[in-house]
Amino acid sequence: MKNLLKYTYLLNVKEIEKSIQRLWKRYQKILNSKKSSWESLNEARSILYFLGYLYPEKIALESLKKRIQCIEPSINLDKFLSAIDGNNTKILDKYKKNKKFNVLKDFYLIIKRIKNRVKNNSYLDEERFNKIYFRTKPKDYF
Amino acid sequence: MKSVIKGKVTIIRNKKDYYDIKGKTILVAKNTHPDLVIVIGKIKAIVTEIDNKLCHAAIIAREFKIPLLMGVKNATKRFKTNDKVIIDIENKSISKIK
Repeated sequence: MKNLLKYTYLLNVKEIEKSIQRLWKRYQKILNSKKSSWESLNEARSILYFLGYLYPEKIALESLKKRIQCIEPSINLDKFLSAIDGNNTKILDKYKKNKKFNVLKDFYLIIKRIKNRVKNNSYLDEERFNKIYFRTKPKDYF
Repeated sequence: MKSVIKGKVTIIRNKKDYYDIKGKTILVAKNTHPDLVIVIGKIKAIVTEIDNKLCHAAIIAREFKIPLLMGVKNATKRFKTNDKVIIDIENKSISKIK
């Protein structure tokens, strides 16, 4: 998670994607292991919360808000997001050769892939996580 | 995209609720789930309690050009499935109609 944050500060999209994949693999490994401890399941919980909510909806959003201001000709965040999601060719063509725009676009597409990631019919495999987590939860947990 | 939308509400509390949607509806949820895509053709508008430009509902609404009203506090408690409502996206308002 520290690496993901570091590469987000650097806006190194390749390393951001790699860091996300590493976290996802670790999360899956914990869920797939029959010997996962309560401690490791809480590591999985932290990854789920980080990848599913904190990173895309807080950290990445703040990063986009800040960096969108550096794009010339200027574009606001709503227009930027709508242009990409709605495949607005007029706007996308305008910024086709704009390096900053395209890096930010690639970053946003990574975030979208997290938000749309479904495994075992649930968002970020959270139903399977919940089952394992509550099955393992100590009786005296508070 | 329409700014004022009228219709019946469907409250979504868990992902199974998506599969109970029959006609065209205004979806009301705390947040949406990727299963929403399965019934996207039946959605006239989306209303969510959470307000975030990168939440799932916001992404889907932009992709499918569906009117979206976010940040409606207690929306899933204020309304019931089949309530008739009117939404004004520009003025960020939703109210029941008879």
